[in-house]
Amino acid sequence: MAHKMSVFPKIMKSHSPPRPTRSPAFSRLMTAAPLFHPRYGFILASMSTTFDKPVLQVDRLDVRYGNFQAVKQVSFQVKPGEIFGLLGPNGAGKTSTLSAVEGLLTPTAGAITVAGYDSQREALYARASMGVQLQSTSFQPELTITEIIRLYAAIHGVTLSKDRINSILDDIKLQDAGAKRFGQLSGGQQQRVSLVIATIHNPPLLLMDEPTTGLDPQSRRKLWERIEAMRAKGHAILITTHSMEEAESICDRIAIIDHGQIITTDTPQAIIDDNRDNPEVIRASRKGRITLEDVFIGLTGDAIRS
Amino acid sequence: MSSTMTSTAIPASANPVAPAISLAPATSVFTSLLRADLTTQWRNRRASIMVILIPSIILISWKGLVEKFGGAFVLSNCITVGLNAIGLMGYTNSIARDRDKGIFQRLRITPAPRWTIMVSRLTVQLLMIVMVTIVLFIVGYQVDNIHMQASAYALTFCAAIVSGAVYLSLGQTIVGLIRNAETVNVTTRLVFFLFIMTGMFASFGALGQIVSDIAKWSPYGAVQRILADSLNPGAWKAQSNMALLATIGYILVFSIIGIRKFQWQSSK
Repeated sequence: MAHKMSVFPKIMKSHSPPRPTRSPAFSRLMTAAPLFHPRYGFILASMSTTFDKPVLQVDRLDVRYGNFQAVKQVSFQVKPGEIFGLLGPNGAGKTSTLSAVEGLLTPTAGAITVAGYDSQREALYARASMGVQLQSTSFQPELTITEIIRLYAAIHGVTLSKDRINSILDDIKLQDAGAKRFGQLSGGQQQRVSLVIATIHNPPLLLMDEPTTGLDPQSRRKLWERIEAMRAKGHAILITTHSMEEAESICDRIAIIDHGQIITTDTPQAIIDDNRDNPEVIRASRKGRITLEDVFIGLTGDAIRS
Repeated sequence: MSSTMTSTAIPASANPVAPAISLAPATSVFTSLLRADLTTQWRNRRASIMVILIPSIILISWKGLVEKFGGAFVLSNCITVGLNAIGLMGYTNSIARDRDKGIFQRLRITPAPRWTIMVSRLTVQLLMIVMVTIVLFIVGYQVDNIHMQASAYALTFCAAIVSGAVYLSLGQTIVGLIRNAETVNVTTRLVFFLFIMTGMFASFGALGQIVSDIAKWSPYGAVQRILADSLNPGAWKAQSNMALLATIGYILVFSIIGIRKFQWQSSK
């Protein structure tokens, strides 16, 4: 799906269709960062010129650790306003692919572009174009939530006043947590803070590595709503997950990766339909109807991976 | 609006589809990281106080040795102990801990230039070196009656910064070669203990001539020598120059190993 909506609604307001899923409070949070700077005359919203182009383009990516090839010729793209799920068993190559996109490791071969920037040659610009929510996020344990938000905003060139930070904390229902340390928050609260920090600069691309792991159903649903709200604004979102329910619920397209290679890429429903008659999938089926999990197990096998 | 972009760079990418992304100036990123690291250091002030307290206690307890060995000898030994503690215990363990917790990985996925992350940490340690040196000057002056010329204090101050770099770079080597935080912790304690024990006892001549000769050119001995001779500039001679060269050599070797071998992620 390609929503013709801007990540930067302030500039593109007249072209934006209604956005029913977004709460006004969250909307304020998301529209805060991109501004015209009086000194430099710079409008960050010029990113909106690249609407129909993929925000993330991964082209024939290879990642090798010594003699072990973790990722082989992986290619996919994520467009604005799209949630793309990367699914695979443990050790399939998801994290290696994501790490290469994040710039945490150097690919052996292939190309990655983020918002048009080459992730190797223009690494800082590529990193400035993405927000990342890591699987196990850790921030400096001595800093308060307010200080952490202010630090990461400053790294992205965003200056936040005290009122603005309070408003952000209000939006994520953590109005009393500003003076707390990250380790004092619950798992769900930590995820909300991580998401705020990942999106503080309103990036065109958001990477989320198993964002709902360890969350209770309520927190998970709330997080899905936030992710969908970001999609509605035109963010491109890449998610890795082990939850088939999550992939089916929120992903517009998914890729199933195994042994470092993408087996299939399509919408969840199309993948189910295409594999409905696959004997391995039928054998994996447990409830009399084919689910995405059945297809996943049918395609990747039922052996437990380390 | 209360939030503002403070970007300076407005690159025009060679790629026509590349949007104009702004990067915060490296100096402002560095300032923000430094503020965060100083806050962290302040909230861990018990550890910082210990780093200052240990050499101060040694200095006070060695008051009786000032007459026998001279103020420069006593004070230089205590400054060396303080610098050891900063480099091996403070810096090294904080790097190992933050790497283990994934804090560096979180910073690496931001557009912060990587040098800003490490230089900010080193700047905090530099401030610690300055603080320890000043406190020991004051304690030496007030308690032990070690009175030096102003030029000697100034020279020693500079020598302390160079000397501190030996232990910071040694700490960098340790976190570069060892990726497990607990092993780093144990190793730094052992190296700290080894340096202090061999350095001090060898300088008193308690460990025999061979060990004494080795210790004289060890990272402890070389540093102690240039600090002692800085406190007494009139005594600066060829051996002091050799000690300075050895100190710079240690800094270069440890830095090269530490930077080349450093991994941003710990082993799990």
